[in-house]
Amino acid sequence: MIELADIEKTYGQGDTATRVLKGISFRVEKGEYVAIMGASGTGKTTMMNVLGLLDKPTGGHYRLGDDDVVDLDDDALSHFRNRKIGFVFQQFHLLDRATAVKNVLLPLIYAADYPEDAEERAEHVLSEVGLSDRMRYKPNELSGGQQQRVAIARALITDPEMILADEPTGNLDRKSGIEILSIFKRLHRDGRTIIIITHDQAVAEHAQRVIVLRDGKIAEDRAVDQPHDPAEELRALADGEEDQ
Amino acid sequence: MKIQKIIGESIYALGSNKLRTFFMTVGTIVGIAALTIVMAVGAGTEKKVMQRVENFGIRAIMVTAGGGKGFSPPQGGITTLKLEDADAIRNQIDGIEIVTPAAMKRNMSIKAGDSQIQASVFAGEPDWHDAWEWYAQDGDPIVTEDLATMARVCLLGTTAARDLFGEQSPVGEYVQIGPVRFLVKGVLERKDVSPMGTDFDNRLLIPLTTGLRRLFNQEHLSYIRVKVIDPDQATSVGAQIRQLLHGRHHITPPQEDDFAIVTASETAKAVKGISGTLNLLLTALSGLSLLVGGVVLMNILLIAVGERQKEIGLRRAIGATKKDIMRQFLAESLAVTLLGMVLGCGIGVGISQLLAQATEIPVLISWEPFVLAVVFALLVGTFFGVQPARKAAALNPVEALK
Repeated sequence: MIELADIEKTYGQGDTATRVLKGISFRVEKGEYVAIMGASGTGKTTMMNVLGLLDKPTGGHYRLGDDDVVDLDDDALSHFRNRKIGFVFQQFHLLDRATAVKNVLLPLIYAADYPEDAEERAEHVLSEVGLSDRMRYKPNELSGGQQQRVAIARALITDPEMILADEPTGNLDRKSGIEILSIFKRLHRDGRTIIIITHDQAVAEHAQRVIVLRDGKIAEDRAVDQPHDPAEELRALADGEEDQ
Repeated sequence: MKIQKIIGESIYALGSNKLRTFFMTVGTIVGIAALTIVMAVGAGTEKKVMQRVENFGIRAIMVTAGGGKGFSPPQGGITTLKLEDADAIRNQIDGIEIVTPAAMKRNMSIKAGDSQIQASVFAGEPDWHDAWEWYAQDGDPIVTEDLATMARVCLLGTTAARDLFGEQSPVGEYVQIGPVRFLVKGVLERKDVSPMGTDFDNRLLIPLTTGLRRLFNQEHLSYIRVKVIDPDQATSVGAQIRQLLHGRHHITPPQEDDFAIVTASETAKAVKGISGTLNLLLTALSGLSLLVGGVVLMNILLIAVGERQKEIGLRRAIGATKKDIMRQFLAESLAVTLLGMVLGCGIGVGISQLLAQATEIPVLISWEPFVLAVVFALLVGTFFGVQPARKAAALNPVEALK
């Protein structure tokens, strides 16, 4: 469970102070699939950094699971990021020279205890994202979509409280993007909590719920009646290609 | 263990960018190799000097016929050093235990039966044994009676004895030195080869009177060996002898001496002084190259931190603490310098041994350079690694990921 109450974020001080988040409150239950949407300059990126414990809010409360995480120091925040959050970035951020397995194992290095079955776990999450035949490939031997799937596997390996994805399809072609969204859909079905930050309505509509930010505030918080189905979209895409 | 995993990451990073790692390592390699060589040569030189001093005798003063410095051998053409000079030294200068005159000729041909060798022949008095602390290991030494009778007797060095008589004892046998037949009355103790490569044991010792009158047919000496009572007095006794001989030989400086005086302590000091200064300079130079290597290492690491911002940001995002990042970069720097140390020591030992084989330069490999190398490697690695590591750890993950 994630709960934000009156989250404020102000950059700078005095006359030059810029209020980016102006009292944001929402709650995400375990197993929810939420898209946080907004155009650039609406505080979307700041929202992502606060949610991901990469940046501290200047006001309000943030509960992640059973813990209040607003007043934690840098080390504690690092540990929380490690245990509770699985990041997926627009630019994948894989280590170039490491294999898929090695990339996936990376978060475990910083865990309090390195599990004995780490390799098996890595192979398991890689097969979950459909890369069982690409375990020993390096990023430059993988397509963009495959690289992002390695990144998702990396996010899954610590079994985090939530998957936090920042424009996960932003660097991908349409087909690969939809494939990534279908992986999110499956993870959601398996009970994972997923938060996608995006500017793209078409991406946001895959979630169960959309929170729209405007000018540092929540402008809209609605359930999606009929979330888009990636499988259908892929089929339509294939048909369209055939038509041409 | 987490720290092992982090060190693993460092090694992995180094392994995956071998060219960069090479450039980071090369400074340390050169510095440590230079240090190893300098120390090996320094230790070798020191050992050689000490050996020479020991061979020479710490209380000894050599008065050699002919000018020149150091250990130059007596010059054949100089006939001014006489027995009377030895007597004068004995009678007029205090603090002396032994004065023993001697004459010598190199490369005389010696025959015994069918065997023939070339050896140096020394003619000395009974004191010779005490002055050189070199005695008969078999048979008898030169005695006063031998002098009085100009006895045709000799002692053989072990090499000469072996070359002439094989494993048999030569005592009681005869050898032919030039035109004269000598009875072998003893064998000198083995002294081994000098650091310069001279075989001390390829020699014969005969009574001084026999040598001068019967064999060399001369009145002059090759050298006088003086043994002082107190080694600290050697230098001043040497100066007194010089003054005495100036008077006796009618020499007024800056006129050139027709003799040379050498003391062990002076020689050792001179050689040690020169090699010590040189050694210090070379050590400082190799230290400097290590320092330059460290600065290069730091710069490459600083650039690497810049280049690897995204990686650092990612690691921070997925849970690395500042300390973890710091440790990773420090471990990289230390791994580089330790690798440089191992390679540097190896190369240094290799070159030292090549030097020892291919040149006259004395080399002594000991453990000290290795300990020093480890210490230096750790110091350089830490000192020049801290700054880049701090910079890496201080990166804001949000900024780094952009």
